[in-house]
Formats: sequence, C-alpha cells, structure tokens
Amino acid sequence: MKKLNWKKMSVEEIGGAISSHLKKRGMDCVLSGGSCVTIYSDNFYKSADLDFVMTEYPREKVDEALNELGFTRTKTWRHYENPKCPYLVEFPPKPLAAGEENIKKIATRTTKFGKLKLLRPVDCVKDRLAAFYHWGDRQSLEQAVLVALNNRISYAELKKWSTAEGSLDKYEIFLQWVKEKKR
Amino acid sequence: MLETLFNNTTKERVLLYLYTYQEGYGQEIARILELPLRSAQLQLKKLEEGGVLICRKRDRTLLYQLNPRYPFYKELSAMLEKALTIMPDDERRKYFSPRLRPRRTGKPL
Repeated sequence: MKKLNWKKMSVEEIGGAISSHLKKRGMDCVLSGGSCVTIYSDNFYKSADLDFVMTEYPREKVDEALNELGFTRTKTWRHYENPKCPYLVEFPPKPLAAGEENIKKIATRTTKFGKLKLLRPVDCVKDRLAAFYHWGDRQSLEQAVLVALNNRISYAELKKWSTAEGSLDKYEIFLQWVKEKKR
Repeated sequence: MLETLFNNTTKERVLLYLYTYQEGYGQEIARILELPLRSAQLQLKKLEEGGVLICRKRDRTLLYQLNPRYPFYKELSAMLEKALTIMPDDERRKYFSPRLRPRRTGKPL
C-alpha cells in the first residue's frame, strides 16, 4: 500500500483515503459532522475529527481495516487515532440524520486518494442547525451560516425541514445571519 | 452597540452572555467576559430587580437567565441577536459563542 503523509493531507483527502480503503474491504460509510463543514467552508472551520456513519460491520473488521492505515482504537470510546494523523476518526451510531429527518441523498467528492461520500451542503447546514435549534448551540449556527454562504443550497428545503423540526423562529434567525454576512 | 440604550457596557455584555449561554452565575460571567466581579454582580442584581432576568438558587449559587415573561423579552432578544450579527467576528467568537451541543463522553479533547 502507498504510504500516506497524513499531516500534509486535507480533511477531504483523509476522508477519501479512509472511505475508499473501507470500501475496498466491503464497508460503506458517509462523512458527516464538523469535517463536512471544514470541506464546505474551504477549511475556514477546523474540525478535530472525521465522523463516518456506516452500516453495521463487525468491529474487528473495522479495526483491521483501519489498522492497515495506521489507526488504532482508543480504549475509552469508538475513536481511532493515528499518531501521524492530526485528526481522530469516529463512527457515530446510525442513522444518518439531521434532526428528525433521515438523510437519503448523498454527495460524492473525488480526491486523489479516493472517493468520499459525504453530506450534501444543504444537509450539512441542517445538521448544524439541528444543534442550534435543539441545544441553542451558537457555534453550530455560525458553521451553518458559513456553509450556506459558500455553497448553493435550497432555502425552500431548509425552511420545510425547519418547519418540521418546529423551529421556524430559529430558522428566521439563521436567515438574518445569512443576510447580514452576505453584505 | 447597545451601550447607549442600556447606558452601560457591562449591562449590555451581561445580557448578551445570558442570551447566548442561556444561563449563568456572577463569577462565571465575570470570568468569561473579563469583567470585575462586583460590576457583573451589580448589573445582574439591577436587571433582576427590573424583571429582565430571573434568578434561581442551585446549591449555593445564584443562577440567572433572561426572564421569558418580561414584556419586552421578544424585542430584547431580537436586539441582542442583531447586536451579535454585527459584532466583530473575533469578539463574538471569543465571548459569545459557547459550545452548547453535547460532547460524547470519553471523547479526547
């Protein structure tokens, strides 16, 4: 296997390398969480880990595949670390969802280290807004705004989703931020 | 930004803190906003007396939050939100962007 210089790779490239490696071993995963914000904000926001949501596979199989890339599971939780890689890798529990909505459409990006499946920008915004709506997390609001400003997203879809989440009032706050930051 | 209206920068910052953090106590507010403790406590007391804040006791700590039954709660919230959108990004991120989403236990920081 080609030796990878993790420290010089972007989050997107690391994600591509890991997911294509898992794919070769028959495991399918989708990148979610803060690292999608990093990718969709052109690295403006820095995430500390890569969260992959994947279909259930035996833990030993995942361990083995990641060990081949130099990642070992930490004792405390479901994280994997590689001393040569600045990011932790995590496999949060299924389903792939934003708030109450299960995510079905997935984006794909191609890197020189392999293909990466990840949340679409609009779902990345929903994922962040869910944290703002339900926990009042303003860091997530700022990240949602960042992704919305840097990508083409459907505001109609976001409004519909926000209504279903019972958070139309907070959606208005998000829109206010987008408008203000566009100036 | 709102100090002219509130006639006091500390009051403005205390309100912005409670709006973004949702609740807080004097010592913590003073530490995070880098304010003298007594000034923070004084403003908290005045705002509570005016019905803008409510206060409850947890153990021996007085925990404050915006009073949702304050007649101008909605308008005040809208003003504070607006103030946050036009505040310099550095200042907002330093003082008024708390992480309130949960972190999984055992996750290395």
